[in-house]
Amino acid sequence: PTVGVVICFTMLLVLSEEHKEHLRFLTSVELDVVKEFCRISLEFIRKGSNPRVYQTAAQKLGVDAGTVCHGVEGLMYLLTECSKLMVNELDFQDSIMVLGFSEDLKKELLAIYLENCNEIRTILSHMSMDLPHYQDLEWRLDVELASRALQRQVNPLVLLRFQIKDGESTSSELLQTDPVNLRHLTSTLEDALAEIKSQHCRRIMRNIK
Amino acid sequence: MKFRFCGELDCPDWILAEISILARLTSVKMKLLCSSVVKDILGTGIDYAKVTKLTSDAKYEELDVKAAVAALSFILSSAAKYSVDGTSLDNELQQLGLPKENANSLCKVYSDNLEKLQQVLSEKSMRVSTLDSVEWRVDYIMSSSALKQVGEPSVQLKLGRKDPTNASVTPLVFSVSGEKFRLLLRDMKQALSMMENLG
Repeated sequence: PTVGVVICFTMLLVLSEEHKEHLRFLTSVELDVVKEFCRISLEFIRKGSNPRVYQTAAQKLGVDAGTVCHGVEGLMYLLTECSKLMVNELDFQDSIMVLGFSEDLKKELLAIYLENCNEIRTILSHMSMDLPHYQDLEWRLDVELASRALQRQVNPLVLLRFQIKDGESTSSELLQTDPVNLRHLTSTLEDALAEIKSQHCRRIMRNIK
Repeated sequence: MKFRFCGELDCPDWILAEISILARLTSVKMKLLCSSVVKDILGTGIDYAKVTKLTSDAKYEELDVKAAVAALSFILSSAAKYSVDGTSLDNELQQLGLPKENANSLCKVYSDNLEKLQQVLSEKSMRVSTLDSVEWRVDYIMSSSALKQVGEPSVQLKLGRKDPTNASVTPLVFSVSGEKFRLLLRDMKQALSMMENLG
């Protein structure tokens, strides 16, 4: 009988001095402002940063735009690092304890972290290293009736055009095959799909959970 | 259950789910919606504001509108792809649960536009590359660095090759001597007569 092994991580996020300094700015503002900063940092994680927002916020609060920028970026980094390492509740609270936040602020940060952890992980997963992957397939069935060398023939051919996406660029590959080869191709691919349902694969997938 | 309009395969689950949404329309609104979707497939684009107004009686949400358009687009283009006649499509849609009047109006629009749909689909078919233009020029070579008196005609051909994936035209330029050109012309004429025999 196979034994599944489950490993438990306890991860404490260690913040650098510079990071702590940036986040210390948050202790000097109201809770509502911090909530607004959290909202802004989530937007930036989703869509990319917009420097003008720093300017408007800095003017409203009467502080330097650089401080606002560091505060928001500090929040972004905190959230993405914790999501990346899948830090659990307790460890998150322990990690931010060093920052000297008020109880309300700590509760607020924890709530925002838990709510958005999954979404941030999805965004991070899209950013990881990627192989070129299949995007689209067009096909055509032709019958070759004659050529310059030989006339009066009947030769079925299948033309395939694959669209392959590699990061941002899409390339197309044109391939040609005959029906016998195509049948062999489809049966090999079907075998590959069926492999997922085999005992071995099922066992591994059970244990990864 | 195998359906002809799905190419003798099972109907996709999402189409089955959309049938109940489509059933909420009256047969008149269904006909107008189908006409809009056909215009979209034929390439003239779809007016979403008009479609939203059409479906507002049946209390369609924004998601419902998009789903209905997608389902109709699939049904119409898939049926045209497999050359299904109007009556069979009518029967199959009723089997899926679409009310009789709605199926009838859908199939009427389908039968009226079948030829145009198939023409558009055949234009969309995969092409390796297309010949966009042919330009030619006949030159007479008088002499060259290798031989003082050459005195030969030569044809310069410029073929425009259109790439279907990105619609760019790349020129292919080459020159052909008199003899080779006669051979090229003979082969092209042979190929042409073969194509005409088929057509």
